[in-house]
Amino acid sequence: MEVLQYSLRRLVAGIPLLLGVTFISFLLMVYFGPDQTYQLLGKNPTAEQIAEIRAELGYDQPFLVRYADYLREVATLDFGNSNSTGELVTDLLARTIPVSLMLILPGFLLGNLLALLLALLAAHYRSRWPDKGIMAFSVVGMSISYLIVIIAFQVIFSSSSGLGWFPVRGWNVHSLAEYLEYVTVPTLATVFVALGYNTRFYRSVIVEELNRDHVRTARAFGVPPAKLLYRNVLKNCLIPIITRVVFTIPLIVISGALLVETYFGIPGVGKVTFDAITTGDQPVLKAVVGLTAVLFVLAQLVVDVLYRAVDPRVSLS
Amino acid sequence: MSVAATRRQSLWSKAAWKLRRDRFGMLGLAVVLAYFVAAVGVWLGLWATGWGDVAGGKWDSVSSEHWFGTNLIGQDIFQRSIYSISTAFEIGLIVAVLSTLLGAVLGAMAGFFSGRATDEFVVWLMGVLDSIPFYLLVAAIAFALEGNPWSMHVAMISTFWITTARLVRGEVIKLKGLEFVEAAHAIGVPEYTIIFRHILPNTFHILLVQSTITFVAAIKSEVILSFLGLGVKDGMSWGLMISESTFEVLAGFFNNFLAASVLMFGLVMAFSIFSDALQDALDPRQVS
Repeated sequence: MEVLQYSLRRLVAGIPLLLGVTFISFLLMVYFGPDQTYQLLGKNPTAEQIAEIRAELGYDQPFLVRYADYLREVATLDFGNSNSTGELVTDLLARTIPVSLMLILPGFLLGNLLALLLALLAAHYRSRWPDKGIMAFSVVGMSISYLIVIIAFQVIFSSSSGLGWFPVRGWNVHSLAEYLEYVTVPTLATVFVALGYNTRFYRSVIVEELNRDHVRTARAFGVPPAKLLYRNVLKNCLIPIITRVVFTIPLIVISGALLVETYFGIPGVGKVTFDAITTGDQPVLKAVVGLTAVLFVLAQLVVDVLYRAVDPRVSLS
Repeated sequence: MSVAATRRQSLWSKAAWKLRRDRFGMLGLAVVLAYFVAAVGVWLGLWATGWGDVAGGKWDSVSSEHWFGTNLIGQDIFQRSIYSISTAFEIGLIVAVLSTLLGAVLGAMAGFFSGRATDEFVVWLMGVLDSIPFYLLVAAIAFALEGNPWSMHVAMISTFWITTARLVRGEVIKLKGLEFVEAAHAIGVPEYTIIFRHILPNTFHILLVQSTITFVAAIKSEVILSFLGLGVKDGMSWGLMISESTFEVLAGFFNNFLAASVLMFGLVMAFSIFSDALQDALDPRQVS
């Protein structure tokens, strides 16, 4: 009951954020975005045809009316049809979001779990060679651009001049074997890049906790290192870890896969959104941006409720 | 009492001493300075002037004439990659300086007026900009500005100031409760003078570290944005070289890709190590 009440209050508090995100993106992407009138018209259009198309696209309405329409669309999840393909936007998203999720989730999970393990190891051997090795690796990983990693991994694992084990590009998934074939190289690239940043972040969180008095006391009482790291350190570090993980989720659902999708030619939601921006496909844009904002508000709520779950001292009022 | 202890010691003199003893940090700084000299040479027109000339055949291999070979249309890859150093510094410096300034001003105002309307607005703005995926925002700004060569800079600045502002806001909230601020209030110093003359200079260590982090982030973002067609419009950059190379690597020609990646890796890595060393040296909790 308390959680429900709190959730409702948080959702209401999220409204200004929703309004802000939708307003700024509406202003940038729709109001100042590309004009589609002449792409949809044939050659030598008459003035009436131009006016008709502009009315259809809503260009002739005043700004506030168009923005209000947009808000109504977000609220009812009715975004109409894509201007480019004519497909219903909700269908388009239902088709592309699962692809992006399947593509990015393995890398996201592995990237975080491995990083946590490495960070625990580094923190445990603080200032000794395993720590220095892991941190050197993480600085190197952070210094290589994501794009370079993707290109290099594609050349090494997929191309004919490399090992040639996996398909170079595309997404033709009908079975688990095919899925593994297409997802492996993007996942390796994602994990490689994520490891550097995540390990560093997690290590600093863990080291901070290790310096606390209660850890020293536990150590003095002879708690074995593995148990100490798990029970006394890791559990107390959960709040920053949860924050980082949960707030990344809205981004990976919508845009995290953009680079991988563009490079490997995978029809996910990142690619669709990017194409929508470059062509001015407003119904798609409105849907994606609106949904991202909603996801962020939900993420904030989830984070707060999880804080409460992992730390009884946090109150929900 | 030793001589060192009697000398006047500030945060800065201690930090400088600590930084000088950090071997990796100083090595990083030396590498960054070497890159900077290369960039200054390009600006002065001393070298890499022929980066756009067609001087050889398609995909010439490494030779004494073309140190890194040539690209698809016969341009010298070595000159192009050196020229790109100056592009990287231009982007890094502009974005780092402006987004740090913006972050400092907005963060300080929000922190000083915390709990009031100014603060609420800045915090709201930070939350909103954080909730729009970065690449979508950049693409949107690029199209809203209709191919303006500065659209990439504008987009980066409009997102990179947020982290700086958050940190400055937190620090200012801490500082504004201290006695020297109370004293300034008591003798009637105007509010904005207190913010910008008395409080903000005390956050300078945060700004310095943040600007080095932003510099690195800007260089890395440029590569990805240029690949997506949203980055550098005229001139040459590592991002453009890498996006050129995406067709070449599958054909087995790696010079373009390697030249840009290795040079970029060197600068980013050296700068990150220097930035870490700076952060360690300036961390007040560690200065003893």
